[in-house]
Amino acid sequence: MATQDKREDILRAAEKAPLLSPSAQRLLQITSAREHELMEIVAVVKCDAHLTVRVLKIVNSAAFGLLYPISSIDRAVSYLGERMVVGIALNDCAAHLFDKQLDGYESERGSLWRHDLQAAIASREVAQRARVEINPDLAFTAGLLHDLGKALISDYLRGTCAGLLAEIEQNQVADYLEGERHLIGIDHTEAGSALARNWKLAEVLQMAIAHHHNPGAAPPEHRPLVYAVHLGDIIAMMGGCGTGADTLRYPLDQGYGAFFDLGGEDLAAIMLDVQEEFAKIDTSLAETKEN
Amino acid sequence: MSNIIIGIGDLGASKGQDDILKTFALGSCVAVILLDPKQRAAGMVHIALPEAKINPAKAQERPGYFADTGIPALLREMKKLGCQPNARGLMVKLAGGAKVMDPNDTFNIGKRNILAAKKALWAFGLGPVAEDVGGNFSRTVAISLATGDVILSSPGRPNWKL
Repeated sequence: MATQDKREDILRAAEKAPLLSPSAQRLLQITSAREHELMEIVAVVKCDAHLTVRVLKIVNSAAFGLLYPISSIDRAVSYLGERMVVGIALNDCAAHLFDKQLDGYESERGSLWRHDLQAAIASREVAQRARVEINPDLAFTAGLLHDLGKALISDYLRGTCAGLLAEIEQNQVADYLEGERHLIGIDHTEAGSALARNWKLAEVLQMAIAHHHNPGAAPPEHRPLVYAVHLGDIIAMMGGCGTGADTLRYPLDQGYGAFFDLGGEDLAAIMLDVQEEFAKIDTSLAETKEN
Repeated sequence: MSNIIIGIGDLGASKGQDDILKTFALGSCVAVILLDPKQRAAGMVHIALPEAKINPAKAQERPGYFADTGIPALLREMKKLGCQPNARGLMVKLAGGAKVMDPNDTFNIGKRNILAAKKALWAFGLGPVAEDVGGNFSRTVAISLATGDVILSSPGRPNWKL
């Protein structure tokens, strides 16, 4: 298949991808708005029986170690926080993407979800340390969604890893993103953006998906959050939570210094917090999925 | 044959001749591998950060997390398997400590992990006989007790021996 045809195939697949569940869509709308209240989130969860059960199972899972079980959805949502509720809803309705085995990156099944979750936690941690105001929960959501384009393009990249890595090492291409474009005429950020448009995600989330490897190119009003996701993505890869052959094959954009003071010690502290939080959430989701 | 999986911040040692000690996707973390050819024992710690002073409580709970607490803890485990208390006869190998594509070194936790691991090893008069560290790729390590081989792997490349 010609490069141009692959590109068009992928864009068509992004347009035809199943929509998010009504609850997930509504939750993303609410949490992307500047002003919103927890009660609005509670109301969405209450109208979705499946989501209600999942939220209650997760808050009462062993990973959270509650002394007394929580049975009211209001308390569960306020205990878990809006980001976890959004994460649970996305994990359920976009599982076909998150759980896809990325053969084109030679990675294990489950690695896309684990990377996205770890990047989400790291994006939030970074956002909380910014000199400017960044909504940390929105940074978490953006982190969860940032790499979904890989699920769309992975099959077209089968068998290309070794060659692409050699090209990067010989400086024939600058990074993995450019390599993807050379091979199939589109990279995972553009494919992800097409999906985000199809899902009618808020502009800031679309920008985070489109520019997470090139945050300086994001519109100024969204730039701080996009930088948080850029750093969150890199921190997850450093922590050994990548998506395969492309791990650590993207440059760090030095422009982050405009919004964050991050020394080596801060970074170490962030990595430690991220690992702890990740282990807790990952265990709670896995525990409750089997039941 | 049993696989002993060593997670981030964990450590393990074995004399089981059918065992394989394995740690996945090191990223900027460093695996310190100790081999005792005489006892036919091997141990490994998956170090995430250089120094325990950043979170002493965590170091108590999981010493393997930091280079300065992880290496003494691994040596204690080796001692339990009959290795010499002064660490004599141990062979050390290092793997991991990858870095992000960054001209500045702020994000280079990998390099700091490698230096801290070497410093902690020196305190016991130990130094690596082989290392595969740095670079922009994440490594997985498998140690075969039967052969003493340390095999590294990374997506997109053929496996190689350390």
